[in-house]
Amino acid sequence: MRFAEFASRYLITIGGIGTILAVAMIFLFLVGVVVPLFRGASMDGAEEAEIERLASEPLHVAVDEYKSMAAILLRDGTVRVHRLDTGEELQRLQPFGGAGGGAGADERTLTALSVSPEGDDVAFGFSDGKLHLGRFGFTSAFPTDEETPDVARDLGPGAIAVHAGKIYVLTTEGKLRSQSFTLEIGAPIESQANAAIRLIAHTSDDATAVLAGFTDAGRIFYTKTRERTNLLTGKTTYASDDYELPLRSEDAAPAFLHLNGGGDSVFLAWANGKVVRYDVRDPSAPLVAEELDILADPAAELTVFEPMLGQATFIVGDSRGGLRAWFTARVDGAPTTDGVQLLLAHELATEGSAVTSIGASPRTRLIASGHADGGARLWHVTTNRLLATSPGPEGEPIEAIVLVAKEDGVVAATRVGLLHWAIDPRYPEASLAALFRPVWYEGFPAPTHTWQAESGTDEFEPKLGFLPLVFGTIKATFYSMLFGTPLALLAAVFTSEFLDRRLRIPIKSSIEMMASLPSVVLGFLAALVIAPFAQRIIPATLAVFVTLPFALLLGAYLWQLMPSNRAVRWAGWQRLVSIGVTLPIGVALALWVGPVMERLFFAGDMRLWLDGQIGTATGGWMLLLIPLSALLALGFGVRVLAPFVRRRSSAWTRSQCARYDLAKFLIGSLLTVAIALALSAGLDVAGFDPRGSVFDTYVQRNALIVGFVMGFAVIPIIYTLAEDALTSVPEHLRLASLGAGATPWQTAVRIIIPTAMSGLFSAVMIGLGRAVGETMIVLMATGNTPVMEWNVFNGFRTLSANIAVELPEAVQGSTHYRALFLAALVLFAMTFVLNTVAEIVRLRFRKRAYQL
Amino acid sequence: MTITPHGSLKKAPPLTIPPRQAARLPESDAAAGGLFEAIQRGEAFETVVHEATRGEKPVLEVSNFNLWYGEAQALHDISLVCPDGKVTALIGPSGCGKSTLLRCVNRMNDLIDSVRVSGDMTLNGESIYTAGVDVIELRKRIGMVFQKPNPFPMSIYENVVYSLRIDGERDRSVLDEVCEQSLRGAGLWDEAKDRLQSSALAMSGGQQQRLCIARAIAAEPDVLLLDEPCSALDPIATGRIEELIDELKGTYSILIVTHNMQQASRASDYTAFMYLGRLVEFGPTDEIFLQPRLKETEDYVTGRFG
Ligand SMILES: Nc1ncnc2c1ncn2[C@@H]1O[C@H](COP(=O)(O)OP(=O)(O)OP(=O)(O)O)[C@@H](O)[C@H]1O
Ligand SMILES: [Mg+2]
Repeated sequence: MRFAEFASRYLITIGGIGTILAVAMIFLFLVGVVVPLFRGASMDGAEEAEIERLASEPLHVAVDEYKSMAAILLRDGTVRVHRLDTGEELQRLQPFGGAGGGAGADERTLTALSVSPEGDDVAFGFSDGKLHLGRFGFTSAFPTDEETPDVARDLGPGAIAVHAGKIYVLTTEGKLRSQSFTLEIGAPIESQANAAIRLIAHTSDDATAVLAGFTDAGRIFYTKTRERTNLLTGKTTYASDDYELPLRSEDAAPAFLHLNGGGDSVFLAWANGKVVRYDVRDPSAPLVAEELDILADPAAELTVFEPMLGQATFIVGDSRGGLRAWFTARVDGAPTTDGVQLLLAHELATEGSAVTSIGASPRTRLIASGHADGGARLWHVTTNRLLATSPGPEGEPIEAIVLVAKEDGVVAATRVGLLHWAIDPRYPEASLAALFRPVWYEGFPAPTHTWQAESGTDEFEPKLGFLPLVFGTIKATFYSMLFGTPLALLAAVFTSEFLDRRLRIPIKSSIEMMASLPSVVLGFLAALVIAPFAQRIIPATLAVFVTLPFALLLGAYLWQLMPSNRAVRWAGWQRLVSIGVTLPIGVALALWVGPVMERLFFAGDMRLWLDGQIGTATGGWMLLLIPLSALLALGFGVRVLAPFVRRRSSAWTRSQCARYDLAKFLIGSLLTVAIALALSAGLDVAGFDPRGSVFDTYVQRNALIVGFVMGFAVIPIIYTLAEDALTSVPEHLRLASLGAGATPWQTAVRIIIPTAMSGLFSAVMIGLGRAVGETMIVLMATGNTPVMEWNVFNGFRTLSANIAVELPEAVQGSTHYRALFLAALVLFAMTFVLNTVAEIVRLRFRKRAYQL
Repeated sequence: MTITPHGSLKKAPPLTIPPRQAARLPESDAAAGGLFEAIQRGEAFETVVHEATRGEKPVLEVSNFNLWYGEAQALHDISLVCPDGKVTALIGPSGCGKSTLLRCVNRMNDLIDSVRVSGDMTLNGESIYTAGVDVIELRKRIGMVFQKPNPFPMSIYENVVYSLRIDGERDRSVLDEVCEQSLRGAGLWDEAKDRLQSSALAMSGGQQQRLCIARAIAAEPDVLLLDEPCSALDPIATGRIEELIDELKGTYSILIVTHNMQQASRASDYTAFMYLGRLVEFGPTDEIFLQPRLKETEDYVTGRFG
């Protein structure tokens, strides 16, 4: 006996502590995964490698992915390849002939260069007006034994050997890898430029490339080329269409020229900050789309105008240290020819050391900026943040900077050296502000809350706005509780207070059985049966919310008309049956009223009406205002009519009272409709329209369906707990109230429900918790579109459904993966806060009930 | 006549009225213990009713009342007259059906599904058990106080005016008036007048019981039913309740169940002695206590039995 007591006490203690521990562990695990998201980026001090002084301005620096070598392309056409760690010169090439070289095979010189932000793709422009596409990058190879030079034969792991411009390294797997610079120059593309190319821009996809440029002759050309490979010789040629863009004669030569990703806008920028954007959707009829000044400071000079990944966002740097990101977005009423407008989306810096160069990441929205003071900074453009900054050695300004493809380093060239910073950006897309505040994503006219973590294309900008998911969760919860709570609570009150005790048990257990219905089945039913059905009869679906209560109440009033002894004798199953009969009558009424309503108030087609295409706002307001007007009518009855009638009704017989009640109800119903109609018409005249908020375009799988079906998922829980709370109200209170002559309904409303309030409240709260966390139903019954609108007829995406959909595809350890864990944490926090609030309120209710 | 509880949905069981058993017990068997044994054997006998009860104006009349809990009969052929404005005490050993009888008066037994009754009761001459009686109206005319104090978890004020509230009374001055009257009537005014808005549950047991009485008399009932109102109270609180009963008598007709013989003898005008569902002897209190007609009654009231 004593042992049993001892054992059970310890078992219970261990169980309790174990549960707390388990919850704490889950919490800690989630926190553990999430916390790295918010750790800042790191950038080590610069490592400098001295090189022989560059003879001319470096145009472009490229670094291989292993950060072993850097290639610098100089203005004079020389390419110098250096080891990154020591600065040792590996190669010096003069691939284009030119001034520096004496080869003289070719009289022309390199005059313009365009490097795509995605990688090694380049376009060259020459003094003779020729254009070439090419690749400026590195090749890794695993040389065979014969190819291996002697110096690379007995390398230790990690050691480096240099031979003939190549770097040899023994990889950790024990294989020898060679690394070399490669420059490919494609076949010439004929253009009608016939003059030296001063500026060039290009964008290309698989088969076609668009090139644009500015020549010494003061012409802007725009060339579309298609690659043609001769199947016999394997030689590639280009067929091109040439166009010319108008340039106003008074304009000086522009400093920058760029194309957007699709090639339908050409940007020209001048050093004074003037930008002209050409609309070349139809290149044979180019238009000036817009003209603006992108430098806020008139004293500043434009020093950098570079595209980012995708060639949609342009980073603008100036001599005052300003660094800004601009992109075009579709703006309502844009004063341009193509409806889009250049917008200043991110102001990264407004002052500081002059920006001299930009290196954009080929994979993300990360950029490195090089400055005149020799320092470098790391920025994340989407979230508008400076991630890290490093001063670099004094003296020499940075002239070209590049972000290594793996985003683990930044390399810059000054005239006398190569600078290398090891960086770790960690999770730059995520910051509290980026997750929970509006963020201005590329192509959007304004900052928004958007969730779209992944997409098919590489250029995609991840959008990690949590609010649409939190909103979706709240919306799902709200609509399902709106539907489920009243039903569950009324059913609980009915079974505990009015139902025969012998019927109570089977009914209670069958409702509890509903809880065991797998939510995937409910979701399946919702998506494949209910949603298509409801779509076919939208007006009736809406009307049922009015006609069903009406039918039920009408039934009750008609019942009262019965002679009292008949009513008493029929209080048993007959009454239950007659209640049951009113339900189908209500539904039938809805089927009849629905189409009538549609014809009268919704211009004959509900879906078009919801779309906002036809009809006035009156009908929508009617639907919304019916409950309010019913309350108003009721209030009128209670405040105005009741005292008046009470004085004379004392002498009335029962049947007179019943008839009066029925008349009151019918008049009240008419009054309700009249009030609703008047208010709606008023609101309509005042110009308010519910479409655009609670009502809007109908989507088949929508919040109404989820509310309805998830209502069924929460009803059993709320019902069971509420029923328990009601039945656990001490019987003596019930007897005292009934003994004082209260009706069962009065007893329930005045005594039982207030006494059980804390229990009822926790029942609702636990139902709420279930609704917040519910996954399967929302996953299946909504379109899972993360939109933020209250529209009952649109879908949403909840935190839980989002985790279920995206976690399997998220790369472990990625920002997306950790963000999903954050979603779980937010969900956890929401339920935790909910439960805590529920507990506090419950305790206060209880205190009030027992102490007042 | 079987009446279903108000609001219940059960099917009424068929009526079964057992035949009246009129045979009177032989005098010789009515010796001490003999009558009880006879009752235990289920033999019928006739209640001994003192003549002094007949002259009074009745407020509640019970005639040939039987009650079954399922198969078990709990009340056998009870006939009783409660005089107007007087206190009638119900005494008898535990389980003899006192509470059951009391609950029948305001039809609280309707709430128990297995209950069947036969016979009738009348309140001021109107039948309680015919079809079409509005149970709710009936209960408003009969106040009831239970064995255990059962105030509602509301303020003292709201407890007292509950019966007016459910009638839809909103006039504050009426409510205040009734509250004060009832609390005065229940002898609680002085203690409660400063804390009307505090919780009734914070009061002592004796105060709670008096509050329940105040709540019952607030509706100005014709009859007040008290089921062992003092069993949960200490002697001082009991004394106060007894004084209260004394004060209420005359204004209200009171039917009180008690196990306390002193209480019955002090507080009541008439006493009914019950045994195993039967009414054994009914008469003026002093006669029942001083010159009972039956040996068994004497044994019970003097504490030799029970
Ligand atoms: N709800 C019920 N269901 C079934 N039987 C009941 C019920 N209530 C009472 N009884 C039975 O009816 C008989 C009379 O009970 P009752 O409560 O009226 O006795 P009582 O005289 O009030 O006793 P006490 O003095 O102990 O309160 C008892 O045998 C009891 O078991
Ligand atoms: Mg009792």
